[in-house]
Amino acid sequence: MRRWAADVPFWSAVPFVIVVAALAALPLSLRISPYERNLVTVAFLMISGALAWNWMGGYLGQVSFGHAAMFGLGGFVAARLMLHENPAPAPIAWLLGGIAAGVFSLGAHPMLRLRGPYFSIATIGVGEASRLLFTYWEEFTGGASGVSLPIDIGMKARLYWWALGLAALVVTASFVIRRSTLGLQLLAIKADVDAAADVGVNATFYQDLVMVLSGAVVGITGGLWASFFSFIEPADMFGFDRSIGFVLMSVIGGVGTVLGPVLGAVVFVLLRQFLLASYPQLYLGLYGILLILIILFEPLGLTGLGLRLARAVRRRRRAPGVVAAP
Amino acid sequence: MTKPPLLATRAVSKHFGGLKAVDEVDLELAQGEILGVIGPNGAGKTTLFSLIAGSIQPTSGEVLMRGHEVSGRPAYRLVRAGVVRTHQLVRPFPNLTVAENVTVGAIHGAWRDEASPRARAAEVLEFVGLAERANELPGTLTLAGRKRLELARALAIVPLVLMLDEVIAGVNPVEAMKLAALIRRIRDERGVSIVMIEHVMPAVMSLSDRIAVLDHGKKIAEGKPAEVAANPLVVEAYLGKGAAEEGATPA
Repeated sequence: MRRWAADVPFWSAVPFVIVVAALAALPLSLRISPYERNLVTVAFLMISGALAWNWMGGYLGQVSFGHAAMFGLGGFVAARLMLHENPAPAPIAWLLGGIAAGVFSLGAHPMLRLRGPYFSIATIGVGEASRLLFTYWEEFTGGASGVSLPIDIGMKARLYWWALGLAALVVTASFVIRRSTLGLQLLAIKADVDAAADVGVNATFYQDLVMVLSGAVVGITGGLWASFFSFIEPADMFGFDRSIGFVLMSVIGGVGTVLGPVLGAVVFVLLRQFLLASYPQLYLGLYGILLILIILFEPLGLTGLGLRLARAVRRRRRAPGVVAAP
Repeated sequence: MTKPPLLATRAVSKHFGGLKAVDEVDLELAQGEILGVIGPNGAGKTTLFSLIAGSIQPTSGEVLMRGHEVSGRPAYRLVRAGVVRTHQLVRPFPNLTVAENVTVGAIHGAWRDEASPRARAAEVLEFVGLAERANELPGTLTLAGRKRLELARALAIVPLVLMLDEVIAGVNPVEAMKLAALIRRIRDERGVSIVMIEHVMPAVMSLSDRIAVLDHGKKIAEGKPAEVAANPLVVEAYLGKGAAEEGATPA
């Protein structure tokens, strides 16, 4: 199995484990209010969703504007399983929601013949079609009035750790994929499908694989989301805003990187929280401006900006030596 | 019964509408051989390569590898069987470093030993003389450098048959000589059999054990380089009718 070996030095896990442990301990220290804890939980969920989107949009270069379909499906399948007369335990329901979303995303297989903007446009179609389909399928989604989940006291608090666990898992997976030969093949497919085939990469298989994994993780995220808000409606879960959100988070943070979608998700959640409260009309406009600026000036988003700053600092430090040289 | 050749085409044809781009071509490549494929522009050389490599399907005829039919298989499966091609226009993955480009090649292919893809990539980069550029992006390489990279990526697959589409064309004469020497080393030191399309006549004449000449999709001549160069049909294809009588040879 050496051909799948990932180039991940074990010590690189140390800071990551420390950060996750600190975050896990955070709600136990009494300083954090339920409001703040909920905000962080939402951020964890968005991190998972953005990173999973990034496997498609960043590693494979297939920018999807339809991931809300998997988010919504995962959410509603999980909700229905928990509302059943023999209710499934929440984690099982989330997992099955994710599997359903993964299988559903396989339906987009024919679209993988398209690349670039053509693929993106097709995903808009599929996303919107799913929204309409599930809005009219009232037995499943409750139609416009949505679905309320059974009240589980303490679930909202516990979800902090579940969401953290999911985010930690997805960050690890993203990192390992990026550094493994699988990630190399995905980047090769992104650069040139035909050239990838010429070196033996089965592009069709890997695109399907990544699409299913990405869809499944976004589906699981949808399930946790449903439990967290204990009320979901199709217009929101399958909404185009949600698909755009996954794109925005990755692009703001830095598409194709691991750190990028994490940063992007945090910024997205915070901005949304503060702007939605005071200027509900403004926040989408602000995202639009941010997106244009990033695409124009720093295609790697916040990550690229950070790298650029680091380079500038290093150059300034080195500058005196340069002056002294003959 | 004689052993079947490593790679062979049997009356392979490709028609694009009324155009017969490749018309019933028979080729054979023996183990350890360098076969040159020459012909005027539009003769169907690259189409023939695409047919063998699985990028396009033949209209009729078949491609055989050690006697087994392989035509109709997708490109990535032919690569795994050991048939690897390079392109006229080099196509490195611009978002990957030189070493990563080669590593992608080292993941699949016909190799069966223990080396990890990265170790194999490092070894191949050393062989083609790009080891020092391993961590740079392909965009920083010269054209000759990118051609070496293309060779390295193909070699990392450990091919049985390497199909080179104008690897030497387009670089300066000094680099051309170095690339020709590298191609010879690929055959001599790594035992790879080679089919090469080339317009640079001194290179193809000196490297090839045999040469096949295509014109308008048909194979019009085949043989040792000197025989082919003296063949009136070949002279005519390159220089036009009448040139053969005047005693000209292809440039």
